Amino acid sequence: MAFAALFRHYAPRIKAFIMRGGADADVAQEVAQEALVMVWRKAASFDRNRASAATWIYAIARNKRIDLLRRGVRPPIDGEDWLAVFSPQEGGADTSISAAQTYTRMKELMGGLSAEQLVVIRKAFFEDKTHTAIAEELALPLGTVKSRIRLALGKLREALAREEGER
Amino acid sequence: MSRHPAPDELLLDYAAGVLAEGPALAVALHVALDPSSRRVVQHLREVGAALIEGETGMSAPDEAALEQALARLDRVPVEPPQAFAAPSPGFEWAPAVLRPYLAGKDWTRAFGGFDEIRLSPPGGPHRVSLLRLAPGRGLPVHRHVADEFTVVLQGGYTDRTGNYGVGDFAVGPGAQEHEPIADPGEPCIALIVLEKPIVLTGRWGRLLNPFLR
Repeated sequence: MAFAALFRHYAPRIKAFIMRGGADADVAQEVAQEALVMVWRKAASFDRNRASAATWIYAIARNKRIDLLRRGVRPPIDGEDWLAVFSPQEGGADTSISAAQTYTRMKELMGGLSAEQLVVIRKAFFEDKTHTAIAEELALPLGTVKSRIRLALGKLREALAREEGER
Repeated sequence: MSRHPAPDELLLDYAAGVLAEGPALAVALHVALDPSSRRVVQHLREVGAALIEGETGMSAPDEAALEQALARLDRVPVEPPQAFAAPSPGFEWAPAVLRPYLAGKDWTRAFGGFDEIRLSPPGGPHRVSLLRLAPGRGLPVHRHVADEFTVVLQGGYTDRTGNYGVGDFAVGPGAQEHEPIADPGEPCIALIVLEKPIVLTGRWGRLLNPFLR
């Protein structure tokens, strides 16, 4: 059945992701289960023009992790329905490239980042750290962290420009 | 592309979901109004997903856990997609992401000649407000002691750092003084997120400081 395939692929990954946030294996397993049950329940809300399935599923897992860690209030857009922020009235005309294709390209893009650029991006996504917290942890000047982020996003924009060109 | 996009480090913080509520709301509004920043955030989310997808050190799939999850599935109802809340009368300019914050709120006249809707509860780490300035009106001269984020939602304003229109994102100019003036046309409506109180420096500044009360 489809859910079993979904579960076998994503549960171990979500579990590992949750454990990076400091949870033990049992809690992480529980969160992975809850997240995937929620994915199934909300599947009707998923819009493949706006994100790849993996991105949508990990957004739900991330929010489960935030709930778990109770790190303060986040606005509803950062809740599991974050995709709702991109409402059609606000112009969704830029989604003609398929999200799955973008996802593949983003994977390639990461291979082109330097180790120092990648570490900042990884810390943001895996360790829930703001760029300010990352600068403190790495004992780097804030300006250095900002410039690494700007270089990494510069490469991302170049990739975007190439997509535009191929359209 | 707006003339004043949010800085990359804030787009990354936002995409990773690590910003506190006030700054996250400011970036969310910018992203809702600026297609270029929106695409960067969408792509960063894909980057985040690709990172998790490539996660190493995973355990093997757990068949017992799968059985439990399947049992849970039988108990949970399927949810239909959510519809967007319609804007309340008078708040048609508000992007969808702002609407939940506006329930039951209305403009109040602040001392200093502008209107305000305060969105954050008192005592939080940020002060989050909507300000509305009539064309040609200004805010009292002030300087910043911490981060200030401004997103224009209607009309525009000009200060010594430039001209800001709908969707533009401004980061407070630090220790510099500035005196924003609303552009001609529609009233300027902007979301302002202040990390800490700012200091008014004009003649009446300390008395009039609307942000310290």
